[in-house]
Amino acid sequence: MSDLLHFLDQIWLARYVILKGLGLTVSISALAIAAGSVLGILVGLSLTYGNILLRSVVRIYTDFVRGTPVLVLVLASFYILSAVGIDLNAFQAGVLALAVFCSSHVGEIVRGALQAIPKGQTEAAKAIGLTFRQTFVSVLWPQALRQMLPTWVNTAAEMVKASTLLSVIGVAELLLRTQEIISRNFMSLQFYFLAGLLYFVINYGIERFGKYVERKTAVPS
Amino acid sequence: MTSCLRTTALSLTTVALLASSPALAQEGSTLDKVLERGYLVLGTGSTNAPWHFKSVDDKLQGFDVDMGRVVAKALFGDPDKIEYVTQSSDARIPNITTGKVDLTCQFMTVTGERAQQVAFTIPYYREGVGLMLKADGPYADYAALKAAGSDVTVSVLQNVYAEDMVHAALPEATVDQYESVDLIYQALESGRADAVATDQSSLAWYMTQNPDRYVDAGYGWNPQSYSCAVARGDHDWLQFVNTALHEAMTGVEFDFYAASFKTWFGAELAPPQIGFPVEYK
Repeated sequence: MSDLLHFLDQIWLARYVILKGLGLTVSISALAIAAGSVLGILVGLSLTYGNILLRSVVRIYTDFVRGTPVLVLVLASFYILSAVGIDLNAFQAGVLALAVFCSSHVGEIVRGALQAIPKGQTEAAKAIGLTFRQTFVSVLWPQALRQMLPTWVNTAAEMVKASTLLSVIGVAELLLRTQEIISRNFMSLQFYFLAGLLYFVINYGIERFGKYVERKTAVPS
Repeated sequence: MTSCLRTTALSLTTVALLASSPALAQEGSTLDKVLERGYLVLGTGSTNAPWHFKSVDDKLQGFDVDMGRVVAKALFGDPDKIEYVTQSSDARIPNITTGKVDLTCQFMTVTGERAQQVAFTIPYYREGVGLMLKADGPYADYAALKAAGSDVTVSVLQNVYAEDMVHAALPEATVDQYESVDLIYQALESGRADAVATDQSSLAWYMTQNPDRYVDAGYGWNPQSYSCAVARGDHDWLQFVNTALHEAMTGVEFDFYAASFKTWFGAELAPPQIGFPVEYK
């Protein structure tokens, strides 16, 4: 009992630090997911409808980024970019790396969703006289969006977890904040558990949001 | 993500950047740049007591931080004129070689390999390794640990020479490497390890924080020097930091150094002898 009280007391002492870390983790994740999704949709469209040149270039980009550990991307965007004169601070470099990583995954999700729609639908749309643009907006995209959502939620949750890697370049996100608290009070199990719980809460929030959008976009039956 | 991969990735980055670094030395000394800027950019960690860690009110503190404050005081007459760059241990050398920090003070052991990549200042502390045991555990002291041979598991902070370091004292012991200081203590607490081998300064700090629960095994080995580090090829700046640290240990700023030493290591230092300089004894 007194152990629990001691733990609660330590949480109370560290409340602002934890909240700051949580806030930063949420901002990093939100920025990376938003930018990564926008970029990823462009990647997906290029992979599906681009001409051979565009498709090859984007294919190399996606394969390269997907085949690279996130940590390497984070380090590269922090150190290598500064060596070539683009001086990003740790936060910007981290968000950039995560957004790039996210875009390659979302790109593949978009491509998969679009290609899963039977060819017959495009042909039927053509037969009733729709332009490609109209076909895409009214026939293909609404279906692809529904297909994408569950995997997109998955990728978004991965991004939240990958944000912990930014602690290596000194971004004081939730995990680094937790480690700072632990280095002072040595309550590692308790505070790692708390951090785990907070990450779960963030990811659960994303999942609920995904479910909400799924309901909103569901075909009325 | 494994630490091994992290270290490898950082080493590769460092090597890639070292190739392009000589150009940096041409652009005037860091000393002038720092003075013009009005504050020092200090690289240090934030997760290792008593060297560099956060107080309850979220301020960086510790012996490494105080060494940076010594330098800031020498520069501006104000120890608080510092912008901290918190970095992991792996990032110490890359952040120096890429110019992200002016100076790094982060319990950095001086080695020949590292000295090829960065310029070390004079040492500000001599560290040694000790062994900590549970007060009510099965092993009483160093002799008991050594007699138990390979039955003994020692938890240690992850490092390239961690295995050799433990085996120098306990040749047959099993070595478990962990990512951070709290985890090596956790390993002892949870029974995964029978002893913690780490710097005596950290052990002393931990034992004063948790009185009566642990004991020192009574053996120390593996001397190493802790120095701050700056980029290579900037003699003016290195000379300045050396002067500031030297005078903190032997001259006008001795009281500052001694007060910090007392806070973090619990020991009083005798003032340097007046008269013939101690350095030449």
